[in-house]
Amino acid sequence: MQRRDFLRTAAALAGLPVLTGCQQLLGWGLPIEVLRPGMAAGHRLRHAAALPPPGSQRRVDTVIVGSGVAGLFAGWRLAREGCRDFVLLNGPEPDGNAAAGAFDGWRYPTGAHYLPLPSPESAHVRALLADMGVIEAGSDSLRPTFDERVLVHAPDERLWRDGQWQDGLLPRGLGATDDAQQQRFLLHVKQLQQQHGADGRRVFTVPTALASQDPAWRALDKQSFASWLAAHGYTAPGLLWYLDYCCRDDYGSTLAHTSAWAGLHYFAARGGHAANAEDGAVLTWPDGLNPLLRHMRGRIGSQRQLDGAAWRIRQQGKQVQVDYVDAGGAQRLLARRVIVATPLHVAWHLLPQLPALGFERAHLPPRAPWLVGNVLLDRFPAEPASQPLAWDNVVYGSRSLGYVVATHQLIRAALPERTVFTTYHAFADAAPAATRQWLAAASADALFAHATADLYAVYGPRLRRHMLAARLTVRAHAMASPQPGFLANPGLAALRAADGPILFAHADLSGLSLFEEAAWWGDIAAQRVLG
Amino acid sequence: MKACMRDRLLILSVFVVASCGLAYELIAAALASYLLGDSVLQFSSIIGCYLFAMGVGSHLSQYVKDERVLDTFIEIELLVALLGGLSASALFAVFAWSGESFRLTLYALVFLTGAMVGMEIPLVMRLLHQRQQRFAELVSRVLTFDYLGALAVSLLFPIVLAPRLGLARSALLFGLSNVAVALWTCRVFRAELLRPTVQYLRSLLVLLVLGGGFIAADELTHWNEKAVYGDDVIHAETTPYQRLVLTRWKGDLRLYINGNLQFSSRDEHRYHEALVHPVLGALPWAQRVLILGGGDGLAAREVLKYPHVQQVTLVDLDPAMTGLFARSAPLVALNGGSLSNPRLRVVNDDAARWLEQHAEVFDAIIVDFPDPSSFALGKLYSVPLYRLLSRHLADNGLAVVQSTSPYHAPRSYWSINATLRAAGLATTPYHAYVPSFGEWGFIIAAHRPGYTPPQAYRVPLKFLDREATRQMFFFPPDMRPWQVEPNQLNDQRLVHYFEQDWSQVIR
Repeated sequence: MQRRDFLRTAAALAGLPVLTGCQQLLGWGLPIEVLRPGMAAGHRLRHAAALPPPGSQRRVDTVIVGSGVAGLFAGWRLAREGCRDFVLLNGPEPDGNAAAGAFDGWRYPTGAHYLPLPSPESAHVRALLADMGVIEAGSDSLRPTFDERVLVHAPDERLWRDGQWQDGLLPRGLGATDDAQQQRFLLHVKQLQQQHGADGRRVFTVPTALASQDPAWRALDKQSFASWLAAHGYTAPGLLWYLDYCCRDDYGSTLAHTSAWAGLHYFAARGGHAANAEDGAVLTWPDGLNPLLRHMRGRIGSQRQLDGAAWRIRQQGKQVQVDYVDAGGAQRLLARRVIVATPLHVAWHLLPQLPALGFERAHLPPRAPWLVGNVLLDRFPAEPASQPLAWDNVVYGSRSLGYVVATHQLIRAALPERTVFTTYHAFADAAPAATRQWLAAASADALFAHATADLYAVYGPRLRRHMLAARLTVRAHAMASPQPGFLANPGLAALRAADGPILFAHADLSGLSLFEEAAWWGDIAAQRVLG
Repeated sequence: MKACMRDRLLILSVFVVASCGLAYELIAAALASYLLGDSVLQFSSIIGCYLFAMGVGSHLSQYVKDERVLDTFIEIELLVALLGGLSASALFAVFAWSGESFRLTLYALVFLTGAMVGMEIPLVMRLLHQRQQRFAELVSRVLTFDYLGALAVSLLFPIVLAPRLGLARSALLFGLSNVAVALWTCRVFRAELLRPTVQYLRSLLVLLVLGGGFIAADELTHWNEKAVYGDDVIHAETTPYQRLVLTRWKGDLRLYINGNLQFSSRDEHRYHEALVHPVLGALPWAQRVLILGGGDGLAAREVLKYPHVQQVTLVDLDPAMTGLFARSAPLVALNGGSLSNPRLRVVNDDAARWLEQHAEVFDAIIVDFPDPSSFALGKLYSVPLYRLLSRHLADNGLAVVQSTSPYHAPRSYWSINATLRAAGLATTPYHAYVPSFGEWGFIIAAHRPGYTPPQAYRVPLKFLDREATRQMFFFPPDMRPWQVEPNQLNDQRLVHYFEQDWSQVIR
């Protein structure tokens, strides 16, 4: 980016026209495509005008608004329980944060890319995985058997530090203090995994709804993870970098802006095991979590999935009116129950009655912006023989989150002739609103520089020769960040409890953007519909 | 020719001589870096040795008698031409033929060349001095051209010569320049030489040797590569997937892929008979056979011996490999033209991808994948791949998997066995002695247990008979099964086992 800026300044000084809008020439001729899913439709909603009278009206028992993880999971559960009278409105951002794309058959994620082994509490996720055949046996046991094609293959993680790779993501060789604190922290969270509250429930669980309500433990939410770490003597730079990386990776926020409860939850809640993989293994597909969504769509049936974006949702007496726009214009659905499975900042604009349900604007959780880059390569870059390319590759000290290899899970006699590297960047360091403004105006080239910072740090400019195309996905409102106090958000509690004609289902209800949380609220809403 | 003109040409020869001197030094250092690594050490020590030797040469030059200066100059030029010109080829050869004496030869050669080159400049200065040149002017001129020559070569060598000509030919080219100086001196100073005709003839002889070397440089390299592989290289090719080298020595054909021996024609029949016949001999009804890997067509040759086999599908990634073994006469003689047999279909595709994307079912499947030496290759020895394989295997069919050595790599071998079982297959391990590989292992896999080895074969075989077959299925006490874990893609134990196994084999 610096060189680009320099060239621009030089060109301006020389009185030459500066190219800002022509995306073909930017990135030295690399075709860069920028996707901003949901942005145009979302911003129209913000300044919502009245719709023309609906061109059609249809009665249906249940409408699911939104087709991210929560909405599709609700639909999957309804279909599984034999419910036929429902429709699902895809919305402007189909598949939500679990969306995917493809370069000429080479699939890649544009959002979430892995799922930890589900713990026994995540029975809903296990049920889905068993339905897909990913869990081959022992769905109810402590250690189910998983389809090995989906369990992340070795080598899974490596860390780039001082021009070399090391195994795993915890930085090693930073001195005795760092090593000792890392060991102490791991032991500490291992104990917390087994910690039960006064009510007999585990303190940290996925889904969070099943966690202990013991106020002594919930008090952790009153402080930041940074201050909790300092109070417990965790000061080593290597450990703190790693924990900060984890918070940015899962929550899009830094240690200082993450609730201590959420920070510990990341490490202590994931207690899943597998019969055929070590603890801590994850499930992943070339296109991230998208196959889970494709499976749920298959079970729901295409006839129940409508293209169109919701515009207004109103409760009128015992029925709910859902106005939406599709290619044919304005349409209306009349339903007995509606599951609002959109992010809450979208629901806020769809539902004028939200304050009446106990949810105020101030209850909207802060949202972190993300940038996901996908780069198609015509060959694999050279790697040291002792540290071959891993699935997840992270750069120590970087403000980005490294890159994931989309072809990692392929079983091949030779290296695939092409591959896609997916880079992640959470904008945790600046105020989200300012970042969103920058993202909306940023040139493809500036976004590309951000998205490929780690790739260039590792491989240098030579990698450019292998790049055939890049697609950048801007997710300006990607996820709710669990800031201190998020557990006590009364607006979220009200929506979680809502059991009237309008129901809510989204990871936002937990305040954590996890597949398991989204699926949980989708499942709860479906069960409320089923009675 | 006027005297002053001769002097100028003599000065010009300083330029050539200095260029050549530096060139030999650079070539020796570059070659040592290539072959020994640690380029900083190689460059420093070779330049040091060379400069010191030049000092020794300068010192020795005082013992040359005044009347012999011109003759000695020519002799030195010829010696430098020979030593320097042949240095790179000679060093390559020494490295290839006897690696141990390489360093000794390297420094001896560098020292001798350095000493000869060190004598050149003092001799030229004396020649010019004898011709009553002013000392101040003489020193200035000689040294100017000396350093100019150094500059020219230090730029020319890395940019043009080394990349275009290679080290061996570059050295020979500089040797030829030294001979040119010698020849030219013979001609111009004929009257002043003590033995002009002898010097002339010597120069021509050296010219012939170096010129021949320059033309035959490729042959020399080839001859050296042959030494590395031990035998004559009859084909070498770098494909997008691998480096194929084929060697022959007294009728023994050998194929190396990326430097690893794939087969020797002396004993490949043992490997391929052991791979194919325990399966095919037990399936008298087999009509459709799949071979994964095996682009050399040797397993196919064995399979095609059975007249009841109607179709063989051979999936090998590299079209260069299957093409070579379908066309090259000695190779076609070896595989009996199996790759052109109308009953055989060659598919150039990634075997794992092909299995994923096709649904055909086979009576016999022969899996001849490379050893699990990396995470990428380890995936070919996994439960998902074996399950995929079993979907292509007929109900009563048999598959056989090349499974490394149960003697040298027991953890790997028994881990592959455990992996096949984890994929729900019934296994029967066996092994055979292949002299060029040692004790080698295979595993037969089937949907149901109950495999029994053939009691007799209806096709002509060189290695297997009833008794040899019986022995293959017997594991003596030093090859008993090991209790090891199956290979799981999540941690790829097999790759670790393989590393562990071979690191303990002293070779």
